[in-house]
Formats: sequence, C-alpha cells, structure tokens
Amino acid sequence: MMEFNLSAEQQELVEKARAFTKEWISPKAVEYDRTGEFPLEICREAFKQGFMNPHVPVEYGGAAHAVLDHCLVMEELCTGCSGIATAIDANGLSQYPVILAGTDDQKRRFLAPMTEELMFSAYAVTEPEAGSDVSRVKTTATKVGNDYVLNGVKWWITNGSVASWYFVLARCDDKQTAFIVPADSPGIVRGPKEINLGQHASNTVRLTFEDVKVAAANRLGEEGGGFQIAMKTFDHTRPGVASGANGISKAALNIALSYAKRRRTFDKKLISNQGISFKLAEMVTRLDAARYLTYKAAWLFDRGEDNAREAAEAKWFAADVAMQSAIECAQVLGGYGFTTEMPAEKLIRDAKIYQIYEGATEIQKMIIVGKLMRMKEVY
Amino acid sequence: MFADVRRMVAKIAGRFKSRFYGRTFRCPVCHLELAIVDADGNRLLVCPVCGVVIDIDEVYGHAVPVVLEVELNRPQPKARIHPLATHIPIGLYPFAVLGTGLLILASIIQPLLPGLGSWFARAPLVADATLVLLALSVGLSILTFVSGLRDWSRRYRRRSYRQIRLKIVFSVIFLVLGALAIALHASGAVFSPTTGLVDLGSPLSLAMAALEVTILAAGFVVIATLGHVGGTLVFGK
Repeated sequence: MMEFNLSAEQQELVEKARAFTKEWISPKAVEYDRTGEFPLEICREAFKQGFMNPHVPVEYGGAAHAVLDHCLVMEELCTGCSGIATAIDANGLSQYPVILAGTDDQKRRFLAPMTEELMFSAYAVTEPEAGSDVSRVKTTATKVGNDYVLNGVKWWITNGSVASWYFVLARCDDKQTAFIVPADSPGIVRGPKEINLGQHASNTVRLTFEDVKVAAANRLGEEGGGFQIAMKTFDHTRPGVASGANGISKAALNIALSYAKRRRTFDKKLISNQGISFKLAEMVTRLDAARYLTYKAAWLFDRGEDNAREAAEAKWFAADVAMQSAIECAQVLGGYGFTTEMPAEKLIRDAKIYQIYEGATEIQKMIIVGKLMRMKEVY
Repeated sequence: MFADVRRMVAKIAGRFKSRFYGRTFRCPVCHLELAIVDADGNRLLVCPVCGVVIDIDEVYGHAVPVVLEVELNRPQPKARIHPLATHIPIGLYPFAVLGTGLLILASIIQPLLPGLGSWFARAPLVADATLVLLALSVGLSILTFVSGLRDWSRRYRRRSYRQIRLKIVFSVIFLVLGALAIALHASGAVFSPTTGLVDLGSPLSLAMAALEVTILAAGFVVIATLGHVGGTLVFGK
C-alpha cells in the first residue's frame, strides 16, 4: 500500500517549522536581503528550537532526523527566505561527510560541540577552476611527518566567514583526500563576503589556505577516498536542496494567489481572468510534482536504498520549477512584480542558485543519464 | 569606529521602531514604511503620502500589499502652517544646545585661561541668548503641534497612523523636556546670573548643569526623530 499522509510526528514538525518561519524568517527576509547581514539572531533562535544540525546522530547529541523530515522542515524555512534558511542549514553539508566517514573521535570533536552551542561549519570543495567538475580540484595536501600541509584557494564557501571548521577536499599525491580543518588554523585567510545575485543573507566567501597544517587525525577516511565522500554526501543533501527550491515555489504560489484574489482589473478580480488562473493551476501542479520527486528521493535514502538518480531528478526538476514559479509570480503581479518593494523579484534572484549549486542542472541530468545507461529497460 | 556607532544607532532605532510600529511593509508606490496594525477591519489602509488605498494581507509571513484605489481629492493643509512652523523649533533648538555646551565648556576652561577674561565676561549675554533660543524653539513647537493636529484631522481624516501617533507622543515629550530645560536655565540654578557660567565649586550647580545637559540631549534625540518621521510623511522614504 502506498501512503501519502505525513505521520503525526512529521505533521507536528512541519507546523513547528511553519510557525518559526512566519514569526522569525518571513518578516525579516527583506531586511536581511537588503543589508546582506548574516542572520545570526535567527540562527540562534533556530538552534534553540532545534532546526540546526538535524543530521547529527543521537549519540553525538543530535536529533537524527530522517532525510524526509529534514526535507519537510527545509521546505517551510525556504518559504520564508531561502537565504536565511541556507545560513541555518548549511552546517549539514559539511557535517554529513563526517557522519559518513568520520571516526568516533572525529565525531566527538567536531559534531558533538555543534549540538551544545551555536556553531557553524562549511563545506569547502569548490575552487575557482573547479565547480561542477570536482575532479579538477587543485588544492594540495603535502604530507610532512605526521601532518599534512594544505595550499590552495576555495571559492563560494557558504558560511565560510562564520564557520568553526571546514570540510576540505585536497590532492594528496594526486589522490583526492578529505580533511577536517579547524577554522582558526594559522594560514587560513577568509575573503570578504561575495555580493551574489540572490540569497544575500547567506554568507559566501573565498578561503585561501597558505601552508595550513592539518593533523593526520583530522583526515577523513583514507587517502584518495575524498572524492567518494564528497559525492556520497550529495545523495543525502540533494533532496534537502530540492526542498529548498520547493519552498521558493510555495512562496511564489502563495504570493501570486493572494495577489490575484484581491487585485482588480477590468472590473473583476485578477484571478477571474483565465490567463492568470491557469498560471496558478500550473504553478501548484508543478510544485506537487517537484514535491513528490523530492519526497521519493528522501524516502529511498531513509530506507537505505540507492537514491542517486531520484535525488538528481528531484534537484533539477525542483530548481527549474522554483525558477519558473518565481517568474510567473512576478508576471501575475504585473508591474508590482518588477519592483523591489514586493517579494516576487527576490524570489527570482533567490531561485536561480538552485539551478547551479550542489551540482548544476546539467550535472543532475548527466547523473540520470549515467543511471539510464546501466538499465536495459526502464520500469 | 564611526561605522560602528552608526550601526549601533541603527540597531537601537530598529528595535524601537519594531516595538512601536510592530510588523511593517512598504507602500509599493511611495515606499513609505507602514504599520500593518494601522489597517482597518477590512485590511484597508490609505497611504498618508501618496494616497493609494492598499489591501494588506500577510501570506506565510510575507506582507503582500495590493493597491486597489487612489484617493485623489485629499484636502491640502491651508497656508501650510505645520510644514512651515515645524522648521523653526528644529532650526533653533540645536543653537540653544550649542549655546549651553559653550557655556559649560567656558565654565571648565575659564580657570585655566585667565587671559581670556574679556571673552568670559560676555557669558551672561550668551546665557540669555541661549534662553531666548530655547524659549522660542519650545514655544513655537506649540504652534507646530496644534497645526499638526489640525492637518491630521483634515488631510489624514484622523486615520490611525503609527507615524502620527509617534509624532504626537514625541511632541508632548519635547514640550515637557523643553519646559523643564527653560525652567532650569531661567532659575539661575545652572548658570549664575552674574557670571553666566556654572559655579564649579557648588555641587548643586554641577548637578543642575548635568541635569540640563541630559534634558537637552534627550530633547535633541526627540526633535531629530520628529523631524525624520515628519520628513517620511512628505517624501515617502
């Protein structure tokens, strides 16, 4: 039997996240978007209410939410502001490699403290010359005695300015190796906050590693195992990213619907015009489709099954739906959709990144095709 | 450092505003920040600056204003007494504060610079001029207050606006503070009627001087806020 209902616990979690979004995120979304300030106050409250570090296993102080639960929460938070939600949730991307490949000692040193007080961590893989193609990473890790010495530049590192430690991918004897690097290590230079198109509340910076010493005890997994760890992380995090995009689609739909029901044109409500009402029908249908793909990808992961294809499908589809919904929302609002005083334009700016980060849409399609090529028939 | 002070002031002002205004949104036409709580039972609100009739609703915590109408025939304030009168207290008050500051500075440096005795001899004149400026500023603010109430009644049809409520409350505070400052200054308890300076040997004079400076500083913040809020009701943002 197939079940589409949320459990009572999941419903409670969604309602809690929704209340948090309405009280803490949405009312401050415009302010943080304009100032580009890091939403520390909101993160503090999110930490207090248990919305941060949901992936950390219970034995290290976390809540160990299932991926599906995390998706439900992310959709709600991103309906308020995906930039603020990214600041709240970005820890997960760097924590998961440690959960996946870390030793008990590493988990105690780096994960457990994050559940005791508000702390941030960052996933430092992307480089100026290596984005979607992670195999091009050039940062080097040279073994010197028992330590490694890292040199290189990491680029567009989310939460980079506020992180206490970084997950870093570097080349050790030309083999990609993963490290946990404390942010206060001598030789790490944090660049200024990047001024991006959207998600202004999210902190994105350049990191320069200049002869940064990393103890061997901070190497994640074996030498040469870094690429696998970095990629496996995405199977876990991509449904969450898709949920973020669904949050944008939901915000766009709600704003467009509210506007269309109240604005009058040609002596009738805007929604009474078929051209507008069909847009809303299409928006809600696409949102539902994106949600089902997302929930399926999360559900597969939670069952311990391979979800690489489904996660890629969810990520690219939800990102495209978010972009389309944001543009349609602005269209429904007409001239008001083009002004910065209405929320539609922010949604367009925020949605774009979902088609790019954590593997661009084209990469997702490559993953899907890669899976198809191994299949004789598709059921 | 200047940026830090600015950030701190902005934070304090932001906190005060969020307490006083509650949840706000910007008029999509003139960009004036409006309080959602000012909307009537039908969620309607007329923007005091541009006159658009806004249906304001919150969706998922996002404020979504919808412009339904424009109120075209709005009574103009006759003779524009309030906008004209408002500049007199705002213009005079800083000079009264400056005069008081100079007198206090002179009281401190007088014993150190005995060669400037002829300059210090003019202190009673400065003290009197300061009192006149203060009295004119506070006195004329009564005219500003009354003409403002009249405009609210005519042009804004006594509608509830957080900005106007804040202006009324702050005007009353300014009048009270101004009256206290005038009384202190005129009583001679701060600046001696003979020397025009603070008697640094008298603890009572020092305490009174500190009190007058505090009152004037508070008045400065209040009148600056009044000017700023009044300005937004003219220019939007």
